[in-house]
Amino acid sequence: MEDFCKSSLFYSDQHLCYAEILPPSEVRARIEVAVLNFLRTLISPNPSISSLPLINRRSNNRRVSHGLLTDVSSIFLSHSFCARSLMKANATKAFVRVWKVMEICIELLVHEKKVTQRELFYKLLCSSPDYFTSQLQVNKTIQGQCPTGHDVVAFLRCSRYSLGIMASSRGALIGRLFLQEPNQEIVDCSTCGSSGHAITGDLNSLENLVIKSDARYIIVVEKHAIFQRLAEDRIFNQIPSIIITAKGYPDIATRVLLHRLTRALPDLPIFALVDWNPSGLAILCTFKFGSITMGLEAYKYACNVRWLGMRGCDLHLIPEQSFIPLKPWDLQIAQSLMSSEMLQENYREELTLMVQSGQRAEIESLHFHGYDFLGKYIATKIVQSDYI
Amino acid sequence: MDGIVRVVFQNFELKSTSPIIRTNAGEEMSRRGSSSNPCDLLKKIKEFTRCLLEDLRRGRSPSVTLNRYRIYCTDPSGKCCCSSDLHMGKEIVSLQKECHAYRLDVLLRVLLIIQQLLQENRHGSKRDIYYMHPAVFSEQAVVDRAINDICILLECSRHNLNVVAVGKGLVMGWLKFFEAGKKFDCINSPSKAHPVPVFVEEVEGIVSVAQYILIVEKEAVFQRLADDRFCDTNNCIVITGRGYPDVPTRRFLRLLIENLCLPVYCLVDCDPYGFDILTTYRFGSMQMAYDAKFLRVPEIRWLGAFPSDSKKYGLPERCLLPLTAGDMKKAEAMLLRCYLQREAPKWRSELEMMMQRGVKFEIEALSASSISFLAEKYIPSKIQGGGYI
Repeated sequence: MEDFCKSSLFYSDQHLCYAEILPPSEVRARIEVAVLNFLRTLISPNPSISSLPLINRRSNNRRVSHGLLTDVSSIFLSHSFCARSLMKANATKAFVRVWKVMEICIELLVHEKKVTQRELFYKLLCSSPDYFTSQLQVNKTIQGQCPTGHDVVAFLRCSRYSLGIMASSRGALIGRLFLQEPNQEIVDCSTCGSSGHAITGDLNSLENLVIKSDARYIIVVEKHAIFQRLAEDRIFNQIPSIIITAKGYPDIATRVLLHRLTRALPDLPIFALVDWNPSGLAILCTFKFGSITMGLEAYKYACNVRWLGMRGCDLHLIPEQSFIPLKPWDLQIAQSLMSSEMLQENYREELTLMVQSGQRAEIESLHFHGYDFLGKYIATKIVQSDYI
Repeated sequence: MDGIVRVVFQNFELKSTSPIIRTNAGEEMSRRGSSSNPCDLLKKIKEFTRCLLEDLRRGRSPSVTLNRYRIYCTDPSGKCCCSSDLHMGKEIVSLQKECHAYRLDVLLRVLLIIQQLLQENRHGSKRDIYYMHPAVFSEQAVVDRAINDICILLECSRHNLNVVAVGKGLVMGWLKFFEAGKKFDCINSPSKAHPVPVFVEEVEGIVSVAQYILIVEKEAVFQRLADDRFCDTNNCIVITGRGYPDVPTRRFLRLLIENLCLPVYCLVDCDPYGFDILTTYRFGSMQMAYDAKFLRVPEIRWLGAFPSDSKKYGLPERCLLPLTAGDMKKAEAMLLRCYLQREAPKWRSELEMMMQRGVKFEIEALSASSISFLAEKYIPSKIQGGGYI
């Protein structure tokens, strides 16, 4: 089934660029290959070191693949390389920065150690002060949002986690689910207390989890506060479900786990419960399509998430004073969502409504009707198939 | 005035107890009633409203007296009494002023919601309460103040009112405890992080073979120690509040200390914000001043990082970042706090040294030369060598 899903995408996989999660030995091998390739370019009869193939991260190189048989869409960057001339000083520096980071990464991989991005910054500050002056520069060198593609993730086609950069996992889940990590006890996620079961940051162990469940739905929740409320009220027993949260913008571990859950339990629909504002929609889209800015890591972990609430049709439930004006940051997010071609029509309408009204609303505002209302709201929406 | 009378008459049950009539509801409340379980709190709430109603019935303008608390002042003479746990004066909220009338209205509405939470044995957050009467509550801060006032009035802590927040803290190490019947066995995998329980009153059966408790300011440092398997090789418990510690983290820490009686060390960045977090753990925060007695950890020792550590441990000059104008302002304000001079003069002189040198550095900078330096050399040598104040 898995292989079938993979092959059902009509763009053949060999031409897709994506950043994989690789074991340390594989990443070391790629770095070594990169070094050899570069040396070969240098000693070739016509050394064309003035141009190098780098992945083009520009927005016009982002494509959307809509799964025809699987209902899953994801974004990826295709093989459009751009040539960068090394004759400009700035471009050279950016290019050298990539190599400096790879130098430290290979040292980490050899010792099988991990670092945080901040620690990497201090290491680079001490070892190569001429090239690194700020944390932002380090972050962009590892995984840039600028179109030059001068970043390590694009260069080596492997995820940040594989390079040895620690990823913290914020996510938690609770509900009718039994999880077993390899060689560990079985965890019953319905008896976890109101903080739920913390999702581990170890991506390898997530891939090897044994999953058993009798739930009928998966509910993804944006905020920790709502997760805690649903956990305390034990909603997952009234509506047989698994509730999962990334406590904000989803990190890779939560997305990996959600993807694992959909693969293990393919009949369970996934519903998202987010605030009615552009950030909420952006979070939903990240679970659904992958990260908008990080096209390379998106591909593998996209899931078919449906928008349960809050939506425009629910606004009549909230008193007028519970609305809050949109901030400039919200409008920026709205703009970048609008400009991406993957946003489906009905989502676009909702977003337009948000921007036009200039307001946003939080899920907690439903508490105006009492503490029981949230559970009833979710149940009614699911039963009435009121999701998009 | 009408609005309040309506709320009070419609929603509260009357229960007459003693025949003694007080004109001032707060006065009676200030008699020491130290029990804060839900039954007693519900009784106190009824008593409070009974007094208010009595005042209204007799045509007197009702007023509420609230004790004021603070944990420090800027009096340099050292003669203030901030270190005692007594209140510093009282504040009277009455219907004479319009802003007070609004404050009383908010307080009564929040009290009603809290009464409901206690009766139904449910928990709610401050944000949930705000959304229940958005027409009346102009902003979140108004609700927060009402909750604080109610805690002072009923002489209890915020969690007794069933008002909770999401938990932020993390813990790992040689510790085993039960929370509402569920076992948290960190001893099997001491380098695995667990969230600090939010309902600290449900924690029991604490067992530990650790030799000390280490508090770290930042999640990144906590992760570094987890990745280096610090707890596998060092017999300890590591906690982080991920920045300024929230109430459950501070309560959990107090609980651990009371049960285990272990030394506590704190590791923060060498900058004014790190210092502020350190003082929050030790002395408490102004916001929760009324509850400081139950939240502070006077036994805490400052393990690092000190300004002098940068030279002692060979930190490269480039890792020292300059103090910004905002940093200097904050540090100057902190120097004026009376408790520093009185109870932690060594801490105060380290802060002064930081300001004189004009530089700060983060804990992560210590890993610049060698990744495991923090876990393998810095922390163990400081603890064994007594390098803490």
